[in-house]
Amino acid sequence: MKRWLALLLLACWLPGQAATLRIALQLEPPLLDPTVGAAAPIGEVVYGNVFEGLVRLAEDGSAQPRLAERWDLAPDGLSLRFTLRAGVRFHDGTPFDATVARFALDRARAEGSSNPQRSLLAAISSIEAPDAHTLVLRLKRRDGGLLQSLGSAAFVMVAPGSVGTNPTAPNGTGPWRFVDWQRGNRIELARFDGYWGEKARLDRLRYRFIADPSAAYAAVMAGDVDLFANFPAPEHLAQIRADRRFTLKVGLSEGETLLSINHRRAPLDQLAVRRAIAAAIDRQALIDGAMFGYGQPIGSHFSPRHAAYVDLTGQSPHDPARARALLAEARWPADRVLSLKLPPTAYARRGGEILAAQLAAVGIRTRIENLEWAQWLDQVFVRHDFDLTVIVHAEPLDYGIYGRDDYYFGYRSSRVKALLRQLDDQTDDTERRTTLQALQRQLSDDAVNGFLFQYPRLLVTRAGLSGVQVNAVGSLELAGALLPGAQAGAAGDDSAAPRALAWAAAGLLGLGLVLLIRRADPRWLLARAGSLVLTLVAASVLVFALVQVAPGDPARHVLGIQADEAAVAALRTQLGLDDPAPARYARWVAALLQGDLGQSLTYRLPVRELLAERLPVTLPLAALALLTAIALAVPAALWAARRPDGVVDRAVSAASQLGVSVPDFWLGVMGAWLFAVVLRWVPAGGFPGWETGLAVGLQSLALPALALALPQAAILTRVLRGALAELAHAEFLRTARAKGASRWRTLWRHALPNVATPVLTLLGLQTAYLLAGSVIVENVFFLPGVGRLLFQGVTAHDIVLVQSLVLVLVALGVAISATVELAARAADPRLQRRGGDACPPA
Amino acid sequence: MPPRMNGRLITGALLAGAFATLALLSLVWTPAPLTQLDIAARLQAPSASHWLGTDHLGRDVLSLLMRGAATSLGVASLAVALGALIGVPLGLWAAARAGWLDELLMRGNDIVFAFPPLLLAVLLTTALGPGAVSAILAVGVFNIPVFARVARGLALPLWQREFVLAARVAGKGQGRISREHVLPNVAGGLVVQLSLQLSLALLAETGLSYIGLGTQPPQPSWGRMLADAQTLTALAPTLALFPGLAVALAVLAFHLLADGLREWLDPHREAR
Repeated sequence: MKRWLALLLLACWLPGQAATLRIALQLEPPLLDPTVGAAAPIGEVVYGNVFEGLVRLAEDGSAQPRLAERWDLAPDGLSLRFTLRAGVRFHDGTPFDATVARFALDRARAEGSSNPQRSLLAAISSIEAPDAHTLVLRLKRRDGGLLQSLGSAAFVMVAPGSVGTNPTAPNGTGPWRFVDWQRGNRIELARFDGYWGEKARLDRLRYRFIADPSAAYAAVMAGDVDLFANFPAPEHLAQIRADRRFTLKVGLSEGETLLSINHRRAPLDQLAVRRAIAAAIDRQALIDGAMFGYGQPIGSHFSPRHAAYVDLTGQSPHDPARARALLAEARWPADRVLSLKLPPTAYARRGGEILAAQLAAVGIRTRIENLEWAQWLDQVFVRHDFDLTVIVHAEPLDYGIYGRDDYYFGYRSSRVKALLRQLDDQTDDTERRTTLQALQRQLSDDAVNGFLFQYPRLLVTRAGLSGVQVNAVGSLELAGALLPGAQAGAAGDDSAAPRALAWAAAGLLGLGLVLLIRRADPRWLLARAGSLVLTLVAASVLVFALVQVAPGDPARHVLGIQADEAAVAALRTQLGLDDPAPARYARWVAALLQGDLGQSLTYRLPVRELLAERLPVTLPLAALALLTAIALAVPAALWAARRPDGVVDRAVSAASQLGVSVPDFWLGVMGAWLFAVVLRWVPAGGFPGWETGLAVGLQSLALPALALALPQAAILTRVLRGALAELAHAEFLRTARAKGASRWRTLWRHALPNVATPVLTLLGLQTAYLLAGSVIVENVFFLPGVGRLLFQGVTAHDIVLVQSLVLVLVALGVAISATVELAARAADPRLQRRGGDACPPA
Repeated sequence: MPPRMNGRLITGALLAGAFATLALLSLVWTPAPLTQLDIAARLQAPSASHWLGTDHLGRDVLSLLMRGAATSLGVASLAVALGALIGVPLGLWAAARAGWLDELLMRGNDIVFAFPPLLLAVLLTTALGPGAVSAILAVGVFNIPVFARVARGLALPLWQREFVLAARVAGKGQGRISREHVLPNVAGGLVVQLSLQLSLALLAETGLSYIGLGTQPPQPSWGRMLADAQTLTALAPTLALFPGLAVALAVLAFHLLADGLREWLDPHREAR
């Protein structure tokens, strides 16, 4: 309700039409505050747009002035003095000055802080703010990389008054201010008119999230997106390149793609074995196969974009013969099978299969395990339980990881550590370049990991879009963006019709339920309610137990792979994850009884709110699918039953037999291809929101509803037809016919009410299935519904979200089947007398 | 003398037999080796050398489909077997003992039934990690209450029949009566249910491996082939067509088999 009001107010307040840029990113951020979460998507949205740091990391990784106008490093390298920009305000009006900056940095580096990059500030001993525009960092030791570190997303400037709300409603100093976030759907930013610098040229930014390659391609082709920041489908770039409506900018990201090797596991600790692995890899075949030719081979852990880069691919060329010789030298055990654990990204899954084949060709056997992110983080990153993995290291200039003994690949080298210490002491660019090149050579010589390719940055834009600035953090800064003829944003709110419909449907359902309950036998009602409660109690224990034994650490997942252990431990305590299981179960149930579904670990929002955002997609989808199924099945079954064993009956029987055999997600995939990609009648996925109007909303639900409905219609037809067939020779039907009723009238008035029980029972089961079973179809069409939320919860290991959602769905299912029984008893008085149980048909 | 075989039974049996044969064959021979990747020959249209074309890694689609049949049929049959082996004795036991035990077992069933199958599968794979074993367990657990219900429903009326009463009078125990007299008389109905559950388990297995919670690569599975193909529909539409058709045909086969068997075993009742 509040959201509707807010939207309505927004609509009145907006000056007419707003020029909106529609941006698509691959992944939705779990929260919007980069100082408490390290997931790359956070920075992709807010860095440089909503939040700003003291310095900005330019595309080549160098530090540029942002909120600091300039800086001076003391000659001894032990103090760094910033002169801050004057006249800067946060979006909520709080002025930005040196005390705010000191607060932001002290908060990030404090003991117990859950800042994911906290360790990068370890060299700071104290921070002073001698006047409003001067900030002085005092250092314990020299740190040549500190300035770059301060440009990272984790150290953006935040105001003391809004740190609590930043994760869901960020308040920064940037050119764009936060407006609205519909989780699972979109984020909206608007121009900040009080910005200190040059103000944004467009009015609004609207972010959507599309990770699936074919949905991304379909969205671009349909013109639903003006800018795709990191296009996930290299396989489709040839078509996009050929289309004059779009511009393709292919660059390199800061991400090195590695075949990471676990040095803790023998015999991978042997240099010869790692060199053999390096020689087994055919980088170009990998880039062609996994990335469709996009990406640049690398021979060490360093971005080719950087000035200090040296091309070392020649040091480890593809040479199967040499690989075999090295393996023989290392006495490679032929029966050793290496585990190759892959995270859920296209490059890793495709690349993993190719690498497995390349390794097999030289005699190294592997076993692929596809993991979700939560499992990957837990098994590979935290517990180091792996032999090989494929992963992009996306952070700029992250060579420091090779000096961390506890890092997941477990590489230890005193030479590399010496080089890293040398870098800390060096401030002269030429000196640093020499050291960085020595470092690259050392990593290549040691064949620390399989160095595969620099991940490409695939930027797809509408032709004519200008002023997009790329930075090293991976976000697109859009203050200067200008799009001739930018879409006038859907500033109006057309949600009146959908809302009225929703209220009408809810009212009808409620009225029906009240009528049913009034007609029912109170003793039966009481008994049924008792068994309902028992079922729910048992289900809650089961759900809790299953979710609790699932491996993985939710806190680690929230903070991301760069976060250090202390930050993760702090968050675990903060989230109450350290308490014993019985205590957590008791807390969960106690909260449930008060109507509190708990707080999502990843979204940091009440599950109830998330559910309320998602139900307006899932409920209409289920209702639409159910109505479609009924509209198809009832006439078909009646028509077939008119003449048993006639042509129609046989055709309907064959069609329904086929219908029950076809998986609904396959129908979805093929339907999306035909109607969205080839014919372009409907969008291939996503949901624009009901406020864009009833027609638009229905259009995007049409295809998924049809995919869900067809198999259900087939089942319903079979059951209805079967039940009618059993009545075929019933006396009362013959009587009706004898009295002159037509075949149709006999079926409609006399036969149909008599098959109400099995049909109602089936409809109840189908409703429950459609509500919960939409997990798959919502994933096919990227609908921000409950099923997709549940799937996201599972993959993100958000145990609170998963256990509460599952319980809600189970409760819904149980309630529906109880209602159906109630309805069946009302429809068929014989049941009342017998007191019999309605039994679902086999 | 058994009644005449009907068309559904024959079609279903032939189709199911063909899938089973291809699946078994794939364990020893496939038209092209499964581990052979040929990036240069990827995404080819169907041709003489690759009857159904090649996938995004240049593998032969027909070979993948054959081995995928082995995976899907294997997981589905093991899951159904698990459900039947636990569910049928439970159901027979419940029918034999009646009273509070019956009530308890059936309430327990209701609780498992309250979980939509996919939710149960998602929960189980969250706990056990994805893979064929989790898929078998998840689909199997859901099959237990189904078989328990059907076995109980079929067995219950038999306990009022003369031959069972006679056995009781003869002093046979409940377990022995269930084994010797009840089971043979419910076997037909259970076979029908087995076939039906196999078709449902096939759908469930494909769904699970489609969302990545089932069988893991490089083991081919129909669901994963579909998921891989989905991203490439614009480039190679046939890639998503064949695994989907395979699933639909296999499910149809067991469906027809179930229908045909029902009609064959109980010719008085019209086929639904």
